[in-house]
Amino acid sequence: MKADRTLDCIGLFCPMPIVKTRIEMDNMNPGEVLEILADDPGFENDLPAWCKMSGAKFLGIEKEGNVLKGYVMKS
Amino acid sequence: MKDKMTIILFSGDLDKAIAAFTLATTAAAGDMDVTIFFTFWGLNILKKSRYTFSKKQNFLQKMFNFMSTSSLPITRLNFLGLGPWMMKKLMKKSRMASLEDLMALAQQLKVKYIACTTSCGILGLSRESLLDEVGEFAGAASYLVEAREARINLFI
Repeated sequence: MKADRTLDCIGLFCPMPIVKTRIEMDNMNPGEVLEILADDPGFENDLPAWCKMSGAKFLGIEKEGNVLKGYVMKS
Repeated sequence: MKDKMTIILFSGDLDKAIAAFTLATTAAAGDMDVTIFFTFWGLNILKKSRYTFSKKQNFLQKMFNFMSTSSLPITRLNFLGLGPWMMKKLMKKSRMASLEDLMALAQQLKVKYIACTTSCGILGLSRESLLDEVGEFAGAASYLVEAREARINLFI
């Protein structure tokens, strides 16, 4: 998936990937897509859950080995 | 209107404080208004320095502030501070966020702090001895006004 920005959260645990995603999204424009790299397995469920809270659009998660690549669009 | 969450942070244990701030920062990151009401042992988390003595304190209050400091214990396996030292070391090694990291993020995400004036009075804590981030010094009624509007209210 194509993204405007990438955020590296490899090695970080809850709540850091979500909190960092939020802070990164604050500096983005509506319609832009953020790619988040994470290896905390909880992130797979936490990212769509956070999207429900924040109103960001959840575009999906791709897995590459242990690495999760999450995609969200700022609304 | 934004969703709201409140936490009463009664405990001054490091592990419980980390749990509280994990939830507070996540909720704030999810666009919720978050208020933490610090009372009793929870006030230790807000102390600027390890020892918070002042001339206004009586002997018992001084004793109390000597035994209960901003050097937080953990709920189990404390072993006079060896437990927290090991825990912090493990957390650092696994790159987990420390309480200080989480508290800095809480400020960035505008989490609101209220310190309980009754507890401050009992323990002889002045406003100056607590972090500047404390936005309000108040009592139960102020907390309840916030909690009544909130969908999530926790006591930790």
